[in-house]
Amino acid sequence: MNFIEQYLARAAGLEAVAAGQDIRCRVDLVAAHDVTGPMAIQQFEHIGIDHVFDPKKVVMVIDHIFPAATVQAKTMHWIIKDFARQYGITLYDKGQGVIHQVLAESHRLQPGDILVGADSHTCTAGGYGVIAIPVGSTELAAAMATGTIDIEVPEVIEVYMTGQPKPYVGGKDIVLSLIKEFGVDGLTDKAVVFTGPGIAAISMDDRMTICNMGIEMGAMIACFGEETAATGVARTMPLALETVAIVAACPPSPANVRPVAELADVEVTQVVVGSCTNGRLSDMEQVVNILKKHQVHPAVTMLVVPASKNVLAAMEQAGWCKILRDAGAVITNPGCGPCFGAHQGLGTDRDVILSTTNRNFPGRMGHRSAQVYLASPATAAATAVCGRITQPGSLSSEGGAGNE
Amino acid sequence: MNKIKGRVWVFDDNVDTDQILPGYAMAEDFSGLGRYAMAGSKEPDFAARVNPGDIIAAGKNFGCGSSREQAPVALQAAGVSLIIAESFARIFRRNAINIGLPVLVADLRQYVQTGDGIEVDLVQGIVKINDREVVAQALSANVLATINAGGLINRVRQEIGVSNG
Repeated sequence: MNFIEQYLARAAGLEAVAAGQDIRCRVDLVAAHDVTGPMAIQQFEHIGIDHVFDPKKVVMVIDHIFPAATVQAKTMHWIIKDFARQYGITLYDKGQGVIHQVLAESHRLQPGDILVGADSHTCTAGGYGVIAIPVGSTELAAAMATGTIDIEVPEVIEVYMTGQPKPYVGGKDIVLSLIKEFGVDGLTDKAVVFTGPGIAAISMDDRMTICNMGIEMGAMIACFGEETAATGVARTMPLALETVAIVAACPPSPANVRPVAELADVEVTQVVVGSCTNGRLSDMEQVVNILKKHQVHPAVTMLVVPASKNVLAAMEQAGWCKILRDAGAVITNPGCGPCFGAHQGLGTDRDVILSTTNRNFPGRMGHRSAQVYLASPATAAATAVCGRITQPGSLSSEGGAGNE
Repeated sequence: MNKIKGRVWVFDDNVDTDQILPGYAMAEDFSGLGRYAMAGSKEPDFAARVNPGDIIAAGKNFGCGSSREQAPVALQAAGVSLIIAESFARIFRRNAINIGLPVLVADLRQYVQTGDGIEVDLVQGIVKINDREVVAQALSANVLATINAGGLINRVRQEIGVSNG
């Protein structure tokens, strides 16, 4: 058995499991947010019981449309708030941050624990070894009631990493390169695991970024393992980290990946840094390192969305918020920001947006014809300065793009 | 509900959940979701033109992206009775089954155009297009049981012994 099968067998109370087998796992944490939570609550109430399986293991986070952009959005907040009070579950309200970051900071899940989340980027928790399974609202309601989830054991694909990334190559560049390789549905119903000596060179923030986008390859589970190779996997893909280039996903698909160096002609009107994909402290540090010497281009709106209140507090403490504001960026409250397409900085058909978020589907961030590129925080910062897609590391210290 | 007859709407590969139900529609009351079905797709006025019982025939990776169950709910509310695609994204497929909206895996796009009528036997997995029969991947007993129970919530009620009434 590979380590995913070992974890799943443990959660199912079985000696062994094999790919394709239907199993019922107990879950260690169940989580939803203000978009998926209200429907899960409605479905839970249809079940007709008066308690969740364990109130300490059920979490709701208001992160997608906070502060409420519409009356209906606020109504959804109230549904969650009322449920939390009635059932005694944990609620993160008032801009505590994006669900995946809040769970990472507050819930001490251990490698092999089972997290069921009503959000497709629940797989983020695989960065710290958790078996994190994304579901919809009805499955979440069932898990809240029973403390279990029925799944089929997935086939496991291993990405075995060696070497070290080149300067300015981050977790986002690594995962976009993998999405290009596997395609948007290459790993549907499968688990992808990251192993090999190369993972030692990848920070926890970057591990979470990489797992966050596992769903963009269709994966059911994305999870970091050990520096040694996994046993019993269906397939191993080697990845020499020094071969990973600085890349961006071009509209309209996360798999439409090209080297940033080939996109220098693309002028942008907006840059977004943050969200559950790249809103952590080390992401912000990369942006600050560039914006402390440069100004945001006059034609660019730059939005910075910290992934959590803790990230924002650390940014304040380090003096980074002032640096970002002085450079011309706008810092929003912690949460999902414009990534979800419901508030705070949406694009029109005139806009070209470079974002560190995870999706550039048509209409994802406003108008169907808004062009959205996905790239790393370092690329986003360099692009914000130059007003066109720019390779980080190519800026002169005086300002503007250098010739390199 | 094992035989379904309807008119087909043809869609391409990678129809994502933002196309099926855009993020902005998520702040609407659940009861009104049907009005936004496919609002972000190549058929933005789908909801106004779809007839009850219509069937979607799509390419690969239908429903990729978000876990938002509002996407299949919106299709169901708009009157869609069945989705046939070459493949489905995992969460969407499970969401559809969990709310009792059947999905079948088959590639019909070479045989049908938007507006054509087809007849589907869900249990046999057979799609009739004029004189032609296309065999879809069979639904598992588990999936059929969930669909026939009217969705996962009813199955959970049965399992944990909540009485109907």
